Amino acid sequence: MSTRTLAVVSAGLSVPSSTRLLADRLAQAGVEALAALDLAAAVEVVELRGHARDLADNLVTGFPNTALRTAVDTVTGADGLIAVTPIFSASYSGLFKTFFDVLDKEALTGKPVLMGATAGTARHSLALEHGMRPLFAYLRAVVTPTAVFAASEDWAGGDRTGAALSDRVRRAAGELAALVAQRPRAAVADPFDDPPPFGTLLAGL
Amino acid sequence: MQFGVFSVSDITTDPTTGRAPGEAERIRAVVTIAEKAEEVGLDVFALGEHHNPPFFSSSPTTTLGYIAARTQRLQLSTATTLITTNDPVKIAEDYAMLQHLAGGRVDLMLGRGNTGPVYPWFGQDIRDGIALAVENYALLHRLWREDVVDWQGRFRTPLQGFTSTPRPLDGVPPFVWHGSIRSPEIAEQAAYYGDGFFHNHIFWPKEHTRRMVGLYRRRFEHYGHGSADQAVVGLGGQVFMRRNSQDAVREFRPYFDDAPVYGRGPSLEEFMRETPLTVGSPQQVIDRTLGFRDYVGDYQRQLFLIDHAGLPLKTVLEQLDILGEEVVPVLRKEFAALKPAHVPDAPTHAGRVAAAGGARDATVHTTADTVTGRAGQEVQAR
Repeated sequence: MSTRTLAVVSAGLSVPSSTRLLADRLAQAGVEALAALDLAAAVEVVELRGHARDLADNLVTGFPNTALRTAVDTVTGADGLIAVTPIFSASYSGLFKTFFDVLDKEALTGKPVLMGATAGTARHSLALEHGMRPLFAYLRAVVTPTAVFAASEDWAGGDRTGAALSDRVRRAAGELAALVAQRPRAAVADPFDDPPPFGTLLAGL
Repeated sequence: MQFGVFSVSDITTDPTTGRAPGEAERIRAVVTIAEKAEEVGLDVFALGEHHNPPFFSSSPTTTLGYIAARTQRLQLSTATTLITTNDPVKIAEDYAMLQHLAGGRVDLMLGRGNTGPVYPWFGQDIRDGIALAVENYALLHRLWREDVVDWQGRFRTPLQGFTSTPRPLDGVPPFVWHGSIRSPEIAEQAAYYGDGFFHNHIFWPKEHTRRMVGLYRRRFEHYGHGSADQAVVGLGGQVFMRRNSQDAVREFRPYFDDAPVYGRGPSLEEFMRETPLTVGSPQQVIDRTLGFRDYVGDYQRQLFLIDHAGLPLKTVLEQLDILGEEVVPVLRKEFAALKPAHVPDAPTHAGRVAAAGGARDATVHTTADTVTGRAGQEVQAR
């Protein structure tokens, strides 16, 4: 059985956070959906809380430090990405956005992405569609049709709301697994291995 | 191997006193720093080019021409000359002129510049940065090697029968370094022409330097200029020294914390760990600098940034004393002992003239010259 990697980016701030809880459920469902397609999956979690200062430093210096570089490489080298943020002030959190700001703008091109978000009220739910989906569209990632939003009531709710969240998680994970399975294994192109020959640069003028 | 200092010409408030020098004071200070560099036995002084405050150095050939007249031995260079927004014709003229006045003690480092607004001020578009660097240098390269140039390109008006004057001193153009932090195209350009490659080596982790230099060396060999370890490499670096490393850290920290570019970001300790910055004793600077060779190979030029972020002139001159007395003599000896014989020394005018088969007067006299009345002929070798 061939193996795929799923990177999970969680921008939750409390420990434990409902954002991480949703991220873990999405990751588990993703692993199961890939297994159903006869693909093994390894999950690598990037908790952005631990990189809050690294990200601020990157904004100032222009480069990621060693710790952040490892996190960036985890995400850019993965076969699929599960990205989960709390909704703050009607959109993804600043910490979440900063991580995607410091990636090379080509780094997620073609990458299957499953989006998730959490908030205290269901009235934030369309932030995924109005805020987060355009971010990944700009980065030319391939986002699953289903995005998963969980409000407090989804966690606390009775059987019906809880089952509805589980259904959304399962459906979204299935869509992600299908995208990952269709795609060749991720390979990160290194511009230093194969630079444009100078003749091409001259001819391109 | 050559050792020297480079200045970006920033006029920055000293965070420990709240005082900022005026332009007149800072310009005189930079001349003093260059003179001091020669006095303490360094080889190179390089000056940046900027066209906006807080920098003064919009006209580096003026400053370098003045320094040339006040020094005897110092090699004068730039860090960097903007190949994107300067007219390559003007670069050819200005630096050939400087080369004559300085008796050949001139080379230059080309860069694209890192200040976005500069491009439109000079009628260019930052999105064309790489293309401008490629085309402008292709023209500059010809203007210094061909007496009469016909040219048509994307970025400037065509040239027909154009002769750039003065012709390079002794018929040998100034040596050119191409500087870039992370654009593989520029390493490729340096390799294609067999020119030098310089890495800033200050703002980014050494891993970027290693990859850029590695690419340049590989492609230098590919284009047939010699083996990869014969490619001509220069590095920047940033140091601050006191006899006791704790004193160096204590004194430099406020300048670091407020520095343009990286100030108010990572701590001094984090930045020292992630980049080549060394703040400590002269011995620590010696050890760290010798270590650069481990990831770029034997290289030809090491320049240090020592006069930025509001450091007062007195402190900068003390740093030069330490470099000249304690650091560079050891580095010279150690690097020389490690360098294999087939790896070239840093390029000099004398060496390049010898390689060209000797000096020649390259003056171009025009036909039907109504000013001098001389017939069209090139004065041949003296």
